[in-house]
Amino acid sequence: MFGEMSMYDFIRGPLVWIAFLVFILGTIYQVVRFYRLSRPKERYQVRVPFGKPPKEPDESPAEPELTWWQCVKLSVVGVNPVMVSVTTVFHLALVLTPLFVLGHNVLLDLAWHASLPSLPEAVADGLTMIVIAGGIFFLLRRIFVDRVRAISTAYDYVVLLIATAPFITGFLAYHHLFDYDTVILLHMLAGEIMLMAVPFTKLVHMPYFFINRFVLVHENTLGTGGSRIWR
Amino acid sequence: MSSNSQAPINHEEVRQMLDHHQDKMKTALRVCAHCSLCADSCFLYHVHDKDPRYMPSHKVINSLGKLYKKKGKIDRAGFEEISEIVWRRCVLCTRCYCPLGIDIPEMIAFARSICRSQDVYFQWSDLEQPAE
Ligand code: HEM
Ligand code: HEM
Ligand code: SF4
Ligand code: SF4
Repeated sequence: MFGEMSMYDFIRGPLVWIAFLVFILGTIYQVVRFYRLSRPKERYQVRVPFGKPPKEPDESPAEPELTWWQCVKLSVVGVNPVMVSVTTVFHLALVLTPLFVLGHNVLLDLAWHASLPSLPEAVADGLTMIVIAGGIFFLLRRIFVDRVRAISTAYDYVVLLIATAPFITGFLAYHHLFDYDTVILLHMLAGEIMLMAVPFTKLVHMPYFFINRFVLVHENTLGTGGSRIWR
Repeated sequence: MSSNSQAPINHEEVRQMLDHHQDKMKTALRVCAHCSLCADSCFLYHVHDKDPRYMPSHKVINSLGKLYKKKGKIDRAGFEEISEIVWRRCVLCTRCYCPLGIDIPEMIAFARSICRSQDVYFQWSDLEQPAE
């Protein structure tokens, strides 16, 4: 069956479905795997190492109360404001744009007669440029900031390319730069590679961000302090 | 140095220790985005003029990460390098902050256990005495 199928047909046909299946099932697999390898932790066992110290007798000087602004200045937002702003905008645009791009919703409508609302094309195009700009920022950082370069390998550059390639090619397609047929084929391939890479590269931080920060119990857990520990 | 024996490294024993915790440790190593945001949370990084080798993720990647990458097949000299990282460059104060919630001290503590199992550990007597 595949023997007669051209590369072109494969990329725009079966590989689209394969990519979405790998992405969704792979992500579910990662979450299920975590739950199988962890166990609930009883609430009363939770350590709160940096909780408020017990109230001191009156003679001792009071603990200085931090204002909310001092708390912000001490947090990652205050220490790395540029990086945190760029990465927040980058991630929001990266996740939301493909869902509301007209080109995608037209295809969905053709296939299922159902689609999400679409952003105005100029807005989607702007968000696409924001993702590309964020990618360039991360690239420059990786090359020129000592501490980032010190932990970078080819793998980090490849993953950055995998994450941004759908946006670069989507941008080229929308603006009909270069040969449209080739570019749109590359776009589909790039999108498919990105989806399949999420569960199996460092992009697996998508599910693990939530697991690490809200479910696992440790010093930096957010919310209610987490509920599970590794077996 | 910090080796307290000259016996060859028992690679089988090291591999068993690595395997025993591989689910959580390898997952943490994979999830790390190599973003460097943990650097500023480590006081030793600041004390050493922002030397990248004191960044928490740098320490983990070059100790535990190296052990997993080489599947434990590291010679005694390599173990001594790792012990230098996990004892001299980190005091396990647990103040490091990672936006992705990676538990760095836990990984460094595990690398210490592996070193100890091979009789490689830090001794105060190894430190050069400061000149009077
Ligand atoms: C896997 C199958 C995919 C198909 C068949 C597909 C198809 C398309 C099509 C037909 C367009 C419109 C191009 C035009 O206006 O002429 C488009 C645009 C776009 N696609 Fe995809 N796409 C896929 C995956 C992805 C993925 C995974 C992402 C991002 C993660 C993505 C991001 C974009 C963006 C950002 C644009 C808009 C670019 C702009 O307006 O500047 N696509 N895509
Ligand atoms: C939706 C949940 C996600 C969350 C909460 C999240 C969070 C994070 C965090 C905290 C970092 C570490 C450093 C930084 O802020 O840059 C990071 C890095 C990164 N993320 Fe995500 N992420 C998510 C999804 C994704 C997805 C779906 C992709 C791509 C397909 C992606 C691509 C990247 C890349 C490329 C980096 C590394 C940037 C660099 O090279 O320094 N993220 N993410
Ligand atoms: S440990 Fe966390 S903060 Fe440090 S480089 Fe890895 S993902 Fe970034
Ligand atoms: S536990 Fe180690 S790496 Fe983390 S802040 Fe303390 S000294 Fe630095």
